[in-house]
Amino acid sequence: MSGLQAYLVLAALVFAIGLFGVLTRRNAVGILLGIELMLNAVNINLVAFARFNGDLGGVVFTLFTISITVAEVAVGLAIVIAIFRVRRTVEADRLDLLRG
Amino acid sequence: MTLPTVLPLLVWVLPFAAFVLLAVVAPLRRAGPRAGLLSIGAMGVAFMAALVVWVEDFRGEATWSWIPSDGGPIATVGVLVDPVSNAMLVLVTLVSLLVQVYSLAYLGDEPPASLGRYYTYQSLFAVSMLGLVLSPGFLQMFVFWELVGLCSYLLIGYWYERPAAARAAVKAFWITKLGDVGFVIGIVLLWSATGTFDFGELFAKAQEHALAIDRLGTIMFLIYLGAVGKSAQFPLHVWLPDAMEGPTPVSALIHAATMVTAGVFMVTRAEPLFALVPEVLTLIGWVGAFTALLAATMACVESDIKRVLAYSTVSQLGYMMAAAGAGAADAGFLHLLTHGLFKALLFLAAGAVIHTVGTNDIFRMGGLFRAMPQTALVFIVGTLALAGVPPLAGFFSKEAVLSGVWEAQLTGPFLMLALTALLTAFYMFRVVFVAFFGRAFGAGHPHEAPWLMRGPLWLLAALTVAVGIRLAMGGEHEAPAWLVSLSLALAFAGFALAWAMYQRGVVDPATFASALAPLDFLARRRYGIDALYGGLYRGLVLGFARLIGWIDRYLVDGVLNVLSALTLRGGDGLRRIQNGRPQDYVYGVAFGVLLLIVWAQLWR
Amino acid sequence: MTLETVGFWVVAALLLVSSLAVVLTPNLFHAVLYLAAALVATGAVFLLLEQPFLFAVQLLLYAGGVVTIVVFAIMLTERLVGERVGQASRHPLNGAIVAAAVFAGIVGFLIQAPIRATAPAPVVDTTASIGRALVGPFAVTLELLGVLLVAALLGALYFARSEE
Repeated sequence: MSGLQAYLVLAALVFAIGLFGVLTRRNAVGILLGIELMLNAVNINLVAFARFNGDLGGVVFTLFTISITVAEVAVGLAIVIAIFRVRRTVEADRLDLLRG
Repeated sequence: MTLPTVLPLLVWVLPFAAFVLLAVVAPLRRAGPRAGLLSIGAMGVAFMAALVVWVEDFRGEATWSWIPSDGGPIATVGVLVDPVSNAMLVLVTLVSLLVQVYSLAYLGDEPPASLGRYYTYQSLFAVSMLGLVLSPGFLQMFVFWELVGLCSYLLIGYWYERPAAARAAVKAFWITKLGDVGFVIGIVLLWSATGTFDFGELFAKAQEHALAIDRLGTIMFLIYLGAVGKSAQFPLHVWLPDAMEGPTPVSALIHAATMVTAGVFMVTRAEPLFALVPEVLTLIGWVGAFTALLAATMACVESDIKRVLAYSTVSQLGYMMAAAGAGAADAGFLHLLTHGLFKALLFLAAGAVIHTVGTNDIFRMGGLFRAMPQTALVFIVGTLALAGVPPLAGFFSKEAVLSGVWEAQLTGPFLMLALTALLTAFYMFRVVFVAFFGRAFGAGHPHEAPWLMRGPLWLLAALTVAVGIRLAMGGEHEAPAWLVSLSLALAFAGFALAWAMYQRGVVDPATFASALAPLDFLARRRYGIDALYGGLYRGLVLGFARLIGWIDRYLVDGVLNVLSALTLRGGDGLRRIQNGRPQDYVYGVAFGVLLLIVWAQLWR
Repeated sequence: MTLETVGFWVVAALLLVSSLAVVLTPNLFHAVLYLAAALVATGAVFLLLEQPFLFAVQLLLYAGGVVTIVVFAIMLTERLVGERVGQASRHPLNGAIVAAAVFAGIVGFLIQAPIRATAPAPVVDTTASIGRALVGPFAVTLELLGVLLVAALLGALYFARSEE
C-alpha cells in the first residue's frame, strides 16, 4: 500500500464512520458531529492529494473547507437551538413537518 | 348574356330577392300577410317571365366558371335553358304562385311572424327548385337539390311545436339524404372519370360514344339513388306519407311542383347518360312500376285524405320513373307536368275540405258535395284526370307512359302499371264517394272556402281540362287503340268497383277486404317497411350507438379511470417515501452515491 | 519502518478509534470530546503530510472553535430541557451496511485508480506559498468566503436570538 493510498483509505474509513453517525444518531447535534467527521475525511483527501501531487490548491481548499465548516456549524447549531425552543426536542425523527 | 338566358335568370332572381328581403328585413317578415304579398308579387312576375320563356321557346346557356383550380375551373354555374327546363319553370312558378295565394287564406289564422317565416321558406323553396331546374351541370343541381331538401324539411316541420310534424320533417330529411349520399358519390365519380360536371359536355361525349368509363353502370345507379330518395321510389318512399304533417299547401307544393319532381326531372335531364346503361334503365323501370303498384295498394286502405293523395303521388312518381326506365323519358316528363297540375289541384281541394271540416279522415266527412259543390267539382275533375279519363290531362300522359313501357317490352312493369291504373281509379273514387257523397256526417257546418282558395282551384281545374284538350288536339299520343280501350276499361272498372262498394253498398268493403286478407293486412301496415326501418334503426343504429356508448363508458373511460386510479395510488405510495425524516433522506443520498460509484466503475 | 510510517499508523489508529467513539458513545457530551480528539488526530495527519499551517488552523478553528460552540449548544439545550441529552442509535445495522457499502465503493475506486506512489519533494515554506495563493489565484474565493462567514454569522444570530 503506497503512501497516498493509505491516506485515502484512512479518509474513506473516516468518511464511512461519519456517514454511519449521520445515519444512526437520533440527536440533531450528533448528526452534526457525524457531518464534521465526513468533512474531515474530505480534508484529509484534499491535503493528501495536494501533498502527493505537489499542488497547493488542495491545501488552500482545505482552508476554505474548514472555514465553511465553521460557518456551517454555527448556523446549524443556531437552527438546532431555534428548533429546540419551539419543539422542545432535538430528535431528528420528530422533526418531520415535511412529511408527504 | 342574351334575352333567352336573362329572362330565365330573372325568373330565378325574383323569388331569390323576395327571400333575401324576407330573411334579412325582420319587420317585413313579421308583418305576416304583407310578407306573403311580397313573395306572391315576386312569384307572379316570375311566373309571367317563365310564361314568356316557355311560349317563346327560348334556348340557350350562360355559364360562369366556379371553383378555380390549377387546371382551369372545376365546375360551372349558370342557366341552361331548353324545352325541359322551360316547362318546369312554368310549372314551378305556377304551382308556387297558386299555393302561395291559397296559403294566404289557408294559413290566415297563423300569427303574423310565423306566416312571414312560412313565406320566407316558400320563396326559398321556389328559388331552390328553379335553380335546380336551370342547372347546367350536376354540381349546381346537387347544391339546389340539397336546398330543396332543406326547404322541404323546414316546411314539413312548419308546425314544429307538434312532435309528429318535427319527426316527419326529420324523417323526410334523413330518408332523402340516404339517397343523396349515392347521388353525390355518383356525380363525383362521374367527374373524376370525365373531368366535368357539365350536362352539355357529358351529353356530347355520350353521343360520340366517348363515355366508355369503367363502372358507368355503378355511377349511374348511384346517381339514380338520389332520385330514389327525392322522388320517393321504393324502398325510400316512406318519408312522403309522413310529410303530410306539414300544412296542406306545402304538401301540394312538394307533391306537385317541387321536391318529388326533382328526382324525375334529374333522370329526364340525364337521360342521355342513363341511355348508355340499359341495365340501370331496366332497374329504374321495374322499381318505378313496383313503387306505383305498392303505393296504390296502400292508398286503397288509407282513410286519411291527404295520405291517400300522398300514396297516389308515390304511385304516379312510379309511373314517371317507369317511363324513364323504359326509355320514354319524354312521356314521364309529360306525366310529371300534367300530374303537377292535377295533383296540386287535388291537394288544394283536399286542403279546402280539411280547412272547413277540421279532420283528415274521409269517414268523418260525407255529403260534402252539397255543402261545397265547387270544391267537390274541382276535386272530381282532378280525380278524373288522375284516373286517366279523356280528355283530361292525365289521360294522355298516362297513355304515353303506358305505351312507352309497352314498346320497351317491359311486360312485367306494364302489367303492374295497368293494375295500378285500376287501383288508382278505385282509390280516388273511393275518396270521392265517401267524402263528397253519401250521408252527411253529423256535426259542423261545412261551407265553401274563401275565394282566395277557390280561385287557384278553379284555375288549376281549368288548366287540367285545357291542357288535356290541347294534348288531344295536338294528337301527341300515338298509343295503339287497344291500349286506349284497355286503360279506359281499367279506369271504369276502378270507378265501378268504388261505386259499388261505397256508393251503392252492393259489395261490402269489409267482405271484400277479408277476401284479400293478406294483402289488406300488409297494406294497412304499409308492408312493414316503416316497421323495418324502425327496427333497423333501433336494432342497428341504436344498437351500434349503445355499443359505442358501452365502449366509451367502460373501455375508454375504464382505461382512463384505471390510469387515474394508478396515478392516485402511485402518488399515494410515493407520498410515503417523503416521510419527513431527514436521515431517511440521507439514506437516499447514500444510495445515490452508491449508484454513481457503480455506474462510474462498470459502465463508464 | 520509517518513523513516518510508524507515526502514520499511530495517528490513523487514534483517528479511527476516536471517530468510532464519536458515533458510538451514547453520551453526547462524550461524543463531542471524542470529536475533539478526532479533529486533533486529523491535524496530526496534516502534520504528517507536512502541512504545519493547516495543523494550526485545524487546532484553532476546529478543536478550539467548533468544539467549544457544540459544547455550548449541548449545555444550552440541556439547561432548557432540564435533563441529560442522551442519544440512542436508530437502525444501527442499516446505517452500518450502507456506510460499509459506500466505503467499499470508494476503496474499489482507489484500487482501480492509477495513483502515483511517491511524493515529490516537499515545498520548503508552505505557509508563505499558501499566503501567496490566497491573495493570488484564490483572492476572489477568499473574499467570497469572507462574505459567507458574515452571512453565516448574521444567520446564526438571527436563528439564535431570543423571542421578544
